[in-house]
Amino acid sequence: MTRRNRGSARLLALCLVVLVAAAVAATAATASRSHAAANDTLVVDKSFDLKTADPQRQFEPTGGIVDRALYDSLLQFKGADVAHPQPDAAASYTASKDARTYTFTLRHNVRFSDGTPLTSADVVFSFNRLVNLKGNPSFLLAGITTKAKCLYTVVMTSAKPNPAIPVLVANTSLGIVNSKLVKAHGGTDAVGADTADKAEGFLNSQSAGSGPYILKTYSTTTQVVLTANPKYWGPKPKFKNVVIRNVNAAAQLLDVQRGTNEISLDLSPDQAKGLKGVQVHGVPSANVWFLFANSNSKVSDVSSNPHIQNAIRYALDYSGYVRLAGSGAVHALGVVPSMFLGALPKSAAVKQNLAKAKAEVAASGLKSPKVSLEFPSDITSNGLSFGVMAQKVKSDLEAVGISVDLAGSPVATSLNTYRGGTEQLGLWYWGPDYPDPNDYLVFLPGETVGLRAGWAAGSYPALEALGKKAGSTSSPATRGAQFQQIQKMLNAKGPFYPLVQPGQVVAASKNLTSTTFNVLYWIDVAAVGAH
Amino acid sequence: MLLGVGITFVAFCLTNIVPGDPAAANLGQRAIEDPAAVAAFRHHYGLDKPLPEQYGIYLWHIVHGDLGQSEQNHDAVTHDLGQFIPATAELALLSIFVAVVVGVGLGVIAAVRRNKLTDHVLRVVSLGGVSMPTFWIALVGLYVFFFRLNWLPGTGRLDPVVSPPPHLTGLFTVDALAAGQWSTFWNAFQHLVLPSLVLAASNIGLLTRYTRSAVLEVISNDYVRSARAKGMPGHTVILRHVLRAALPTVITVIGLAFANVMTGAVLVENIFSWPGIGQYAYRSATTLDLPAIMGVSLFVAVVYITVNFIVDVLYGVIDPRIRLA
Repeated sequence: MTRRNRGSARLLALCLVVLVAAAVAATAATASRSHAAANDTLVVDKSFDLKTADPQRQFEPTGGIVDRALYDSLLQFKGADVAHPQPDAAASYTASKDARTYTFTLRHNVRFSDGTPLTSADVVFSFNRLVNLKGNPSFLLAGITTKAKCLYTVVMTSAKPNPAIPVLVANTSLGIVNSKLVKAHGGTDAVGADTADKAEGFLNSQSAGSGPYILKTYSTTTQVVLTANPKYWGPKPKFKNVVIRNVNAAAQLLDVQRGTNEISLDLSPDQAKGLKGVQVHGVPSANVWFLFANSNSKVSDVSSNPHIQNAIRYALDYSGYVRLAGSGAVHALGVVPSMFLGALPKSAAVKQNLAKAKAEVAASGLKSPKVSLEFPSDITSNGLSFGVMAQKVKSDLEAVGISVDLAGSPVATSLNTYRGGTEQLGLWYWGPDYPDPNDYLVFLPGETVGLRAGWAAGSYPALEALGKKAGSTSSPATRGAQFQQIQKMLNAKGPFYPLVQPGQVVAASKNLTSTTFNVLYWIDVAAVGAH
Repeated sequence: MLLGVGITFVAFCLTNIVPGDPAAANLGQRAIEDPAAVAAFRHHYGLDKPLPEQYGIYLWHIVHGDLGQSEQNHDAVTHDLGQFIPATAELALLSIFVAVVVGVGLGVIAAVRRNKLTDHVLRVVSLGGVSMPTFWIALVGLYVFFFRLNWLPGTGRLDPVVSPPPHLTGLFTVDALAAGQWSTFWNAFQHLVLPSLVLAASNIGLLTRYTRSAVLEVISNDYVRSARAKGMPGHTVILRHVLRAALPTVITVIGLAFANVMTGAVLVENIFSWPGIGQYAYRSATTLDLPAIMGVSLFVAVVYITVNFIVDVLYGVIDPRIRLA
């Protein structure tokens, strides 16, 4: 070997040493890797949308998972059920006949993690703070006042009849905080709390609740670590520690197959198909994907034409959208999801009828009708891409003679046009703010989503009157029937076209139990068991 | 100073001409319909003031070390940067170290073995490193080394059950060593290996190619031939005479490699759930978190200016002719 060759050989060796060192480190890691997750630790993988752990400020799924474990609420849902609130910090409640006044009787044995008893003062503080912070979840208690009747009795009074109150108080944003502790760290429930309250930083560093877990570490980008609350009044959770990690779906797919005591919450039905050695639960999500045609003639003469609106209704290949969404998906029969009170039966489904759709296009009097379809192009929900769904809408409508320009844009931009009511056709989904049909009155004329579709108040008086009636009826059976009627009227003449409820997948290690998906909480980590 | 003000101005203008509304991006579907909630949000973040006034306030706050409050997590941006920069720094330093050692080494070998099999193989390898998308390498790396072979950990800076070491520098490997927590150090190092190698891949290709051409320019010079004729060992000739003369080019490319690390970090940190500045930048951009976007822009600008300054200084250190000029 020449000197020149020896020199280059040494350099090559140096390069290889770096790579080999990494490989050796890796190989040596193998043994410890399989024992990485301790038996007393549950790992939940979720693509984070976390903004805060402060219950009165948070209104995103990840924050809900965290606060469900840290804070008790007056009532709660168990398992997958979201129709029948169960006792939590409140042992029982009574409702007035006019559905305006609800009286909650608190348990006497509930204590915060610092040992302080939970009383009506804490409930009043928490609920007033929620209202006065003027944050994302503040609307939940709009028009509702909360007062302490005595140490363990709370009375909520609504300005209008509100049969949804028992469901509302089960929301994680209505988690009850230790008022003395939060006040001591700058919290306030007074008017002006939106500027005066300084407790968020504290509530992101340690919890002030009475739930089964307490907050150990918190990061909006990495992970949230919870540890069991030794003073919890209810049944002790199986896992001493819970790590909720920020992991994208592609990595979750690998993690859940490799890990132990691991739950993955963001896999699409297609990703879940190939999973091995893992239990997979696929259920319809409560997110209702819908198309709308703007009824405001100033936005579009085409989309506001009643015949074109009917043509769209009958042009859509509804079963095709379900196939596109993958396993676990179901046809959204109305705007109210299939698992809520007032959901429509299958017999009420709108069916594709191309001949009728073409006849409606002809009756519209428009030659070569053309509309633009706007949608958020950079996001997916339940693994389903808006772009793919929009392509299918374009294909369906062009088959009956309606030309469609696809106008996707980033969600930060498209939200503006959607909320501004300037989209001709819009493709969006509505996720429930709370699991009650009252949340879907927003689709009526003059309401939030109705206005986004150019449907002004007074456009459909009979429907609006029925909406008001259903929103304040206290009997669940009567309400259910009224909401079904509302949706039938919407499906017959409204500018909304419910398309699909995509599948929601929960993949979990085989040894885990009670990994049920709940549309409000996603996963109740305190209920997860193992064998 | 002037450069810094210019950067804040450009970043401020760019973030404000984006056709989106921070309130719409950050408030929920119900809160955005509530004028009180929207007004509270705008007032809190100063969005209710005219743009020139917003910019003036922003500059005033910067002078006082305040980069504003993040709209996504409500923390001070300086606090966020302090939390995320060490994670990226740890990743970037190891990545650059690997890239320099391997890339420069392979570049020298390719030049010395010019037009031989080794050179051809290294050309293909370096081209592959430069042309393969970072996110693809990251996903394949995770699949092979974590999922299939189980040699390396998957995502994050530590295993879920391992607690971070006491905070000293924010670099987990350094902090763990300082605290004498050997198992934590080992765990943190294992987590570093895969993302830093992925991040190094394109830089290895880049450095290999540039080093090769820089060395080839020098290797045929008379003084190199003279050194060999005098019987100087081959590796000494390469290290002392050839590589030193080629270093200005290599150092320029190392400066570029830092730019690659910054852009690559956005993708790699998202795929590996690495809580660094890249992931923070991504989240800030998707939620139109203007204070955070401005904070990240300033940080990146400062890094670039610093790296360029160091490169300029190094030119003078390596080549006295530049220093004298």
